[in-house]
Amino acid sequence: MYVIAVYDVNEKRVGKMLKLCRRYLNWIQNSVFEGEITPVKLQEMVVEANKIMQKEEDSLILFKSRDARWLDKEVIGLERMSTDNFL
Amino acid sequence: MKKPYYLFNPGRLSRKDNTLKFTPVDEAGNEGQPRHLPIESVEELYVFGALDVNSAVLNFLGQESICVHFFNYYEHYTGSFMPRDYLLAGKVQIAQTRAYTEAKRRMPIARSLLDGAAANMLRVLRYYGYRERDLGLPIAAIEDLRQRLPDAKTSSELMGIEGNIRQNYYQAFDEIILDYDMGGRSKRPPKNEVNAMISYGNMLCYTQCLKQIYHTQLNPTISFLHEPGYRRYSLALDLAEIFKPVLVDRLVFSLLNKKIIQANDFRWELNKCLLKESGARNFAKYWDERMNETIQHRSLNKKVSYKHLIRLECYKLTKHVLNDGEYKPFKMWW
Repeated sequence: MYVIAVYDVNEKRVGKMLKLCRRYLNWIQNSVFEGEITPVKLQEMVVEANKIMQKEEDSLILFKSRDARWLDKEVIGLERMSTDNFL
Repeated sequence: MKKPYYLFNPGRLSRKDNTLKFTPVDEAGNEGQPRHLPIESVEELYVFGALDVNSAVLNFLGQESICVHFFNYYEHYTGSFMPRDYLLAGKVQIAQTRAYTEAKRRMPIARSLLDGAAANMLRVLRYYGYRERDLGLPIAAIEDLRQRLPDAKTSSELMGIEGNIRQNYYQAFDEIILDYDMGGRSKRPPKNEVNAMISYGNMLCYTQCLKQIYHTQLNPTISFLHEPGYRRYSLALDLAEIFKPVLVDRLVFSLLNKKIIQANDFRWELNKCLLKESGARNFAKYWDERMNETIQHRSLNKKVSYKHLIRLECYKLTKHVLNDGEYKPFKMWW
């Protein structure tokens, strides 16, 4: 499945959240990640995220899609980071 | 789904916060913006540019069972970093070795591998035969040679027939490829554009086979068709034999005939022809797409990617050496 993850957490925890997300998804913008991931891996990431977050203050939003092809991505202005696998 | 990453830019790969960080470095030695590769989505790494790594990264890659394949300036395969075998199975190892040492058991496997390769080559040629190419002669010649496979007594005889089949097969390339001449296969070094592409593609196919073998219980050094020698993973060569026509050659034809790769994607050095970085990058991109393309598998009754077909081949071989069903090579049916 293809996922876009967006989080908004307190400054104190933002570093931890960033590091966690980097392991599973591609960073595209501040607090925004996207990428292909299996449901199990995503579950794993959510469990880890739950440990970091404080539910009253922080949030993590996941936009899920069956496949990247159902997603029309348009970048306006500067693309901070591409997600392709040819570096 | 995990995907392979192809590193063409020179740079440094480091372990950072339990994931990978790639920092590109330009010619002047200035570091570019680093890119973090999500470790959970990395299947394997292909390194074409100059890369700095340290043991921390290798330890980490080893822990995650990720192979790294290295290629030199001339796009030759140099070797792979293969993490410790994680699917050890003494039983399979012994069975595989036995299947090799007993000629009675080795020959049928070698013959099947070659038969599969010949069948796939014929498929490729027939496809173009229907498209108004004059390929009657090579097809007839290969069919003829294929008939002689059951008579071969030793593996060197088999390899001899294999050579003849390949020769006829490569002769047909000039007819299929529109704008370029191949004029026979030349390697080390490749003498023209077509040969350069085939060499590059074969190498990608070879590493893909090696990776698939790594993720099964087979031992990549014990082979059946090729003589298991030193310095190389010959089982990967055996498997590549079947898949080269399916994966590499068809891709080469379409990239050249659709003019996706053009004359300015090659560089000439002394008397050899090589792909430029632009060409190599483009080829790898289409290769990657092709590997993820799926076909409807007949006996499994589900969609299977080209990549997975190689893995299935490994499973079939494992079953064969364990005396659990006879090995039948993969033959293209379309």
